[in-house]
Amino acid sequence: MYLKQKRSWLSIIGLLFAVFVIAAGTFHSSQAQAAKKSKKVFLVGMEANYPPFNWTQQDASNGAVPIQGSNLYANGYDVQVSKRIAKRLGRPVEVAKTEWDGLLPALTSGKIDAIIAGMTPTPEREKTIDFTRAYYNSKQIIVVNKNSKYAKAKTLKDFKGAKLTGQLSTVQYDLIKQIKGAIREPAMRDFSSMRVALQSNTIDGYVAELPEGYSMAVADPNATYINLSGKGGFVLDKTESQEAIGLRKNDPNKATINSVLSKLPNSEQSRLMQQAVKEQPQTSSQGNWFIDIWQQYGGMLLRGIGMTLLLAIVGTAVGFIIGLLIGIVRTIPAPKKRLQRYLINFVNWLLSVYIEVFRGTPMIVQAAVFYYGAAQAFGINLDRTTSALIIVSINTGAYLAEIIRGGIISIDQGQFEAATALGMTHFQQMNKIVLPQAVRNSIPAVTNEFIVNIKDTSVLSIISVSELFFTGSTIAGQNFQFFHTYLTISLIYLIMTFTITRIFRLIEKKLNGPKNYDLMTNDFQIATPKIAGK
Amino acid sequence: MEKDNILTIQHLKKSFGQHEVLKDIDLQVQRGEVMTIIGSSGSGKSTLLRCLNLLDDATAGEILYNGQNILDPNFNRIQYRAKVGMVFQQFNLFNNLNALENCVVAQTTVLKKNPAEAEKNALAQLEKVGMGPYVKAKPAQLSGGQKQRVAIARTLAMSPDMILFDEPTSALDPEMVDGILDIMKDLAHTGLTMILVTHEMGFARDISDHVVFMDQGVIAEQGSAEQIFSSPKNPRTQEFLQRYLKRL
Ligand SMILES: Nc1ncnc2c1ncn2[C@@H]1O[C@H](COP(=O)(O)OP(=O)(O)OP(=O)(O)O)[C@@H](O)[C@H]1O
Ligand SMILES: [Mg+2]
Repeated sequence: MYLKQKRSWLSIIGLLFAVFVIAAGTFHSSQAQAAKKSKKVFLVGMEANYPPFNWTQQDASNGAVPIQGSNLYANGYDVQVSKRIAKRLGRPVEVAKTEWDGLLPALTSGKIDAIIAGMTPTPEREKTIDFTRAYYNSKQIIVVNKNSKYAKAKTLKDFKGAKLTGQLSTVQYDLIKQIKGAIREPAMRDFSSMRVALQSNTIDGYVAELPEGYSMAVADPNATYINLSGKGGFVLDKTESQEAIGLRKNDPNKATINSVLSKLPNSEQSRLMQQAVKEQPQTSSQGNWFIDIWQQYGGMLLRGIGMTLLLAIVGTAVGFIIGLLIGIVRTIPAPKKRLQRYLINFVNWLLSVYIEVFRGTPMIVQAAVFYYGAAQAFGINLDRTTSALIIVSINTGAYLAEIIRGGIISIDQGQFEAATALGMTHFQQMNKIVLPQAVRNSIPAVTNEFIVNIKDTSVLSIISVSELFFTGSTIAGQNFQFFHTYLTISLIYLIMTFTITRIFRLIEKKLNGPKNYDLMTNDFQIATPKIAGK
Repeated sequence: MEKDNILTIQHLKKSFGQHEVLKDIDLQVQRGEVMTIIGSSGSGKSTLLRCLNLLDDATAGEILYNGQNILDPNFNRIQYRAKVGMVFQQFNLFNNLNALENCVVAQTTVLKKNPAEAEKNALAQLEKVGMGPYVKAKPAQLSGGQKQRVAIARTLAMSPDMILFDEPTSALDPEMVDGILDIMKDLAHTGLTMILVTHEMGFARDISDHVVFMDQGVIAEQGSAEQIFSSPKNPRTQEFLQRYLKRL
């Protein structure tokens, strides 16, 4: 009667596992279907977070283009150019929203067809990819605060002592070296970060291109920019202030694309850019900023939360199963037969390599290697979400394996001996006696992993998974309300982690069972026991 | 008269590394007898019991169970262990399971009994040791004496041919010892084969059919309870028993 409620642990775990396999399977097949349908899509990589070149918006207005794998849209100068090219190629166009650092690997690994992202053709980059002719001729500027002493600067000399930065791995960041006496702060990942840094006065300015100056001046009334392309300004090759389209080496479409671009004279470029500046997302803050953010971006935030939760839940659950299986294997007593012993030793060795590697390297690196590296080296093309799920799972598995092994070996030897003496096999002992205790003891650590996963999946933005943090930076890139947006995001993180801590407390309580037991008086109690129990 | 031996131990040796703990043990255990092993600490009593149910592997020799050598690599250890129970000094209950589940789990997994039948049997065994009211209690909620009762019920629930007891009362408070000894006395009368390691000399004298005195890894003397306790021949046995009598 008490037993019927109790299912075997392994069967529950098996069930969980099956659910995830099926879920992952259907998920994957729907992705595969989408991929098949859009086989001929011209997929353009850009940050979609660098107005007026490119930005993210929530509808298709002003001729925006869908962002792959989401129901968001991209628009901006780059998008308009992309559309012209796609039209000429006779293919529908979509945008792959990709972090700046992810653009080159995404192109070389075949995840995208072209980079149209305001990228300058540097010799460095030309080593790995090809560039078309320029599609925009730009000017170099420094964005500063209006009320700062640099607002009146005219030449590079005036920036002596200024704390300056630029985007990581850009020409602009290198240009800071030309300013004598300026302090070159560490490079930043994206423009959102630089804008926040400028608003909070942690930097005095950042080097960018003219369109960013237009944008910033529109978006932030306290900002202005200094044009430094003339005399006393930056010295650079003509190509260094041009933007071109990045293609894989020997792309057969290069000639066609060049011919499209040749019909884009400076005047037309300028017209397109002006239009982009006009159409780029504007701050629309009237009334309460918190309500504004939710009204405007509620859907995006919810999807971001959903993705973060999906990654954390699946990652922790699958990681837990991996950890359990490894824990069981790693505690198998040494077999008598020599061959079996060698085999077990070998498997144990492999497992410890797995654990060391995944615990010993940052998840952000694992994600980049797995997602871009696998495609580049072996031509394996997994979609982002699947890759992210796999990375989080095996990463969590590596941590939990050791925790569960600790839980298993901490159970006193006597219980193993008693179970052995009753004739139970290693797996029966594990299933009925050892794992329930090890699992119970590992719950605090699993809770911890879960919370870490909720927060640390933010590093998966490197492979452009739109989890909550990535969503946050997209929103901040649109509304320029960095402080408020990130405050909202942190609040959401806090609520999620707090809720999960509470839920796991409840699970823990449930597993501990009742604090007190009832004395039983049942049918079997024929006579009062001869020796009264104490 | 043909003897019915449940166990025949021949030239049994056990070493831990260089340290030879059991040196050439020869011993016969008759079906249905209560055999007590006494001896000073470190003489190898526990090691012998552990070799008998294969928790430790003997280094050399033979252990015949109903004529079959249990040390044979092809011998079915699982079946044997299910038939030979063991009660430990430290109880070794399964901490995640309540008293009833402790007595059910091996029945369903090892003996493949259906849960209802296993549960009924477990309840009956728990009743027998006076633990009927405590079926729902977890080990952490029980006293030492109660834990040992559950452990005995757990072994009994397997319907064993033989039970090995390794100092079942040594970890108990004195006032709980008698309760456990009474249960064992009752069991002895049911005709179960019992091998018991104990320091309770009075009890050993009362219930044993066969007493074995071990000293430094060998059987120094064995015989009936009457013979060993009343007129021990070996000077070491005499010395050992003297020490106990003095303490009493
Ligand atoms: N796993 C082991 N590894 C090494 N030596 C061991 C091991 N188990 C027991 N021994 C040694 O074997 C000897 C006999 O131990 P055993 O536990 O059989 O003694 P015992 O007669 O049961 O003593 P006690 O009355 O104190 O329980 C001791 O010297 C002990 O140190
Ligand atoms: Mg002992």
